[in-house]
Amino acid sequence: MEAPPVTMMPVTGGTINMMEYLLQGSVLDHSLESLIHRLRGLCDNMEPETFLDHEIVFLLKGQQASPFVLRARRSMDRTGAPWHLRYLGQPEMGDKNRHALVRNCVDIATSENLTDFLMEMGFRMDHEFVTKGHLFRKGIMKITVYKIFRILVPGNTDSTEALSLSYLVELSVVAPAGQDMVSDDMRNFAEQLKPLVHLEKIDPKRLM
Amino acid sequence: MEMFRSNTVWYIICQPPTACGYSTGQLRFRGVSQMPVAEGKSVQQTVELLTRKLEVLGAEKQGTFCVDCETYHTAASTLGSQGQAGKLMYVMHNSEYPLSCFALFENGPCLTADTNFDVLMVKLKGFFQSAKASKIETRGTRYQYCDFLVKVGTVTMGPSARGISVEVEYGPCVVASDCWSLLLEFLQSFLGSHTPGAPAVFGNRHDTVYGPADTMVQYMELFNKIRKQPQVPVAGIR
Repeated sequence: MEAPPVTMMPVTGGTINMMEYLLQGSVLDHSLESLIHRLRGLCDNMEPETFLDHEIVFLLKGQQASPFVLRARRSMDRTGAPWHLRYLGQPEMGDKNRHALVRNCVDIATSENLTDFLMEMGFRMDHEFVTKGHLFRKGIMKITVYKIFRILVPGNTDSTEALSLSYLVELSVVAPAGQDMVSDDMRNFAEQLKPLVHLEKIDPKRLM
Repeated sequence: MEMFRSNTVWYIICQPPTACGYSTGQLRFRGVSQMPVAEGKSVQQTVELLTRKLEVLGAEKQGTFCVDCETYHTAASTLGSQGQAGKLMYVMHNSEYPLSCFALFENGPCLTADTNFDVLMVKLKGFFQSAKASKIETRGTRYQYCDFLVKVGTVTMGPSARGISVEVEYGPCVVASDCWSLLLEFLQSFLGSHTPGAPAVFGNRHDTVYGPADTMVQYMELFNKIRKQPQVPVAGIR
């Protein structure tokens, strides 16, 4: 068998500062079908994709005022898929020339012992939930329409209850820092989803 | 993601022990203490001696390899609340898995992640700080001999050569215990009496499928042994 390519220096990639551009909105359960129908028409022609994920939010507390937050996510409907570890920085609203919320993000695929490893690092679980929904793509844009479920018995993802009577709709792009023009494409796309759903840049501080 | 490769048969190796192991199949011979640098010889001369033996056996040179390890300790700011002073975390890379990063705790879990984990460590610098001058690595030549892959490397810490690592991987087998005797025999053919015992990583799970994390655990253990030994015995690279 061919040997794998060998380099003298391990590739220590991922040094690029990646940002997530985000628009959010929601639809009531009864409007879901028409939104999905519209998205199928607008998005890339791909097989309808659904997901069922379990997400756990971990905190690392130090003497700093704010704890360090990491999100660990695993697919419940695709066994063998890697776990997904995500760091999200402070969201920036920016001015009105930028049409999306922007936050620094680091996405890492990991092995399945992620939870144990984070605990070993000193992280503690803060909360967990299950998300279930649909995924669409349009070029580099990702559109997710999903419902959040509360976990009734900690750690048991079989026993869940819907958090609300609506679906969260997110339009996001992950791009290198400074590519603010992607937010123009996002705004244009969001315009095409009106009036089914109004996607906006929502300041999380407003909700606290 | 890259880690899936290790499940394919060709990539698996069985590893014997001396120092670190690698994806399924490696043997690592640990430098200075296991394979004493021959009297009057430098690390480099001993490496040359080994590689010459391999070449005489008929092994073919196949490029180079590198395994590095950075040590992080919990930043002082978190010690009070976490109560885990002294716990060290190792972040390692292996040129055999160029898109992966391995994070380990001694006697703890080994996380296999993609290289974005390095970016996360930068974000975490308020909580985990890299120990000064702790970076240790081994670099050397990669040899193929039939189904065996042998990597002989010089272990360096800062500017000084601290020892020699030997890793042997047997490609066709994914279960270490099934090919340990074969590895051992192969090792004896060029290490002679310096052949190591079975790696500790196999201790309680002889029958499980060998993976890249098992190799990294062996390298971490090797590096830790080398760090602890006095620097004197080795003359350094001439």
